[in-house]
Amino acid sequence: MKLHKSFKHALGMVLHSRLRSWLTIVGIVIGVASVIAIIALGDGLQAAVASQFSGRGVDLLTISAGAARGGGFGGGGGGFGGGGGGAAANSNNKTPELTRADIQTLKGVNLVGDIDTQISGQVAIYYLGQNGKVGVTGVDQDVWAKMTNPTLQAGRPLGPSDTNVVVIGGRLASTYFKSPVGINKGIVLGGRAFRVVGVLNDSSTSVYMPIDSAYPLLLDHDPDVYDRIVVQVRDVTMVSNASAAITQALSLRRHVITRPDFSVSDPSAFLQTRQQTVSSLTTFLTMIAAVALLVGAVGIANTMFTSVLERTKQIGIMKAIGATRSDILTIFLLNAALIGLIGGIIGAVFGVILAQLMPQLLSLGPVGGSNAVAIVKITTILFAIGISVLIGVVAGIIPAWNASKLRPVDALRYE
Amino acid sequence: MAAVTKARKDASAIIRLKDVWKIYRMGEVDVPALRGVSVDIVSGDFVAIIGASGSGKSTMMNQVGCLDTPTTGTITLKGHDIAGLSESELAGLRGRTIGFIFQQYNLIPSLSALQNVLLPLEIQEMPDSEAHRRAEATLATVGLADKMHNLPSQLSGGQQQRVSIARSLVGDPEIILADEPTGALDSVTGHEVIAILQRLWSRGKTIIMVTHDMHLAQYAHTHVELKDGKVIRMEENRKMLKAEAGA
Ligand SMILES: Nc1ncnc2c1ncn2[C@@H]1O[C@H](COP(=O)(O)OP(=O)(O)OP(=O)(O)O)[C@@H](O)[C@H]1O
Ligand SMILES: [Mg+2]
Repeated sequence: MKLHKSFKHALGMVLHSRLRSWLTIVGIVIGVASVIAIIALGDGLQAAVASQFSGRGVDLLTISAGAARGGGFGGGGGGFGGGGGGAAANSNNKTPELTRADIQTLKGVNLVGDIDTQISGQVAIYYLGQNGKVGVTGVDQDVWAKMTNPTLQAGRPLGPSDTNVVVIGGRLASTYFKSPVGINKGIVLGGRAFRVVGVLNDSSTSVYMPIDSAYPLLLDHDPDVYDRIVVQVRDVTMVSNASAAITQALSLRRHVITRPDFSVSDPSAFLQTRQQTVSSLTTFLTMIAAVALLVGAVGIANTMFTSVLERTKQIGIMKAIGATRSDILTIFLLNAALIGLIGGIIGAVFGVILAQLMPQLLSLGPVGGSNAVAIVKITTILFAIGISVLIGVVAGIIPAWNASKLRPVDALRYE
Repeated sequence: MAAVTKARKDASAIIRLKDVWKIYRMGEVDVPALRGVSVDIVSGDFVAIIGASGSGKSTMMNQVGCLDTPTTGTITLKGHDIAGLSESELAGLRGRTIGFIFQQYNLIPSLSALQNVLLPLEIQEMPDSEAHRRAEATLATVGLADKMHNLPSQLSGGQQQRVSIARSLVGDPEIILADEPTGALDSVTGHEVIAILQRLWSRGKTIIMVTHDMHLAQYAHTHVELKDGKVIRMEENRKMLKAEAGA
């Protein structure tokens, strides 16, 4: 029999099949839909995590005084959202400090480019009769904007000749006080007057100002002692190497080879862990979906076995009128593949819909700056449909083989 | 009767059974259904295989139709020893040479009359247009031109049997095998079927029909009588009847 005729008969078998076959297809639909939705969600999360770091931050290393404390992402992005973490160094002499000597050492490290020194702490704020407390970060105004490349919703970043000016977080500008704090408005921080020159496009209440303006506000900070040093690595692909080189150079300078009293954060490592977390989450969910598909496969196999039984007599008739083993095998395999294909296609449609709903369903909200959306790649759809057809064929092999093996005389006797 | 004498004299054996035994194993006991059957079926003959229930008629039919293989003995179809053929060679030879008519019609319920009749041609990979032409013409010859698109469930028993006859004929096989073709039909409809078979025979087909009905057997040219798995009589039917019914 020609292949297209076998296909026609296989399709006829699916279309004339009982409710049971359609229930089998439902099993496959669920499996395929969940595989697509989960992979799409995983891809979306990966992309969100990656975009959060793209363009800025990945080439920055943050050095803090004190032994490593769990990765320290708080200042990792170059100071965004900083301030809340509070000052690491206080007046206690024994507390490790970062000083000018460290800057000198860092300048000698090969991969190190720009260096930003930062201090931060909580400061009282006063604006139009209202009081509050906000995190203030003093930064090296010459390099801060260039290094962190902040996105502003209004105004400009800090410039080299600025004194007593601030760049403030989006929430501080919009809703923190009764009336918005706009560009060129004056605010009072720690009893001193500052002028707002820029508003960040974020939802923080952070305040950034030149480090020299910050020392008088943060009284527990000695001059030329820093909470953090942020360095830009010249080659973004060498961040880990730079981190190692910096650790080595500073340990030598500070005579703390065995027990460093400082820590170097590596945001690319953090990015990797984030992505690993996301991908292991995705793997886990995919395994659940795979189980759904497996159940679907068992369903197809079961349907196929019953279908072969039901059609035993037909198989006998077809053999009596000249059908060969391979004719029968082909028809039943195509039938199984078609069940997989139909289930796969319907499943893909539901999968795409489910993928759109998933972020809301799981109330994932924003990941970093951007909202996590599921990304349905065409390859994911093709992969899922392909798997589903493959499952159909694999599940159909044994029943189809059994069907082809039936002796016509036995098959014809079957009632 | 010119056709009769011609068939008897010139034709050679189209199917030859030589010392065929068929033993069914039922658990511990062996049930011999055929015990050393040797029969030559001559091309162009109309043979009725008769015998009591359980005498081995259907078993013999399955051997003749190459649907089953003998326990011992040889079966030769058009000069080919079927034991020497592969599965697919045998299926091909069977499909081209033998048309089957079953007692229970054995139509495929999900296919229309036309699609059922097309099936053997599809298996033989005949081009579509040719296949359709032949299937429609064959259905017309059994008087079903207006029922071609009915499903089997939408046809009467007699009509279903005629579809099954059309299916057996459409590939223009030399041999038609019919196991109790009228078994499920009333006597009038049964007569019509016999008439069709006689007409085919007069056009040169070899007809082999199983029946336990001695009256029906009178329409055949040769009688082969089985008893307990043995051929006890094989002779020309001198009182052959001519079926009257038109169709
Ligand atoms: N598949 C089988 N397994 C076991 N025994 C069988 C099988 N088929 C037939 N037999 C036995 O072989 C013998 C002959 O059976 P067969 O069907 O050939 O008889 P028959 O002449 O066609 O009878 P009927 O007129 O009732 O159709 C019987 O004893 C039957 O029980
Ligand atoms: Mg019988």
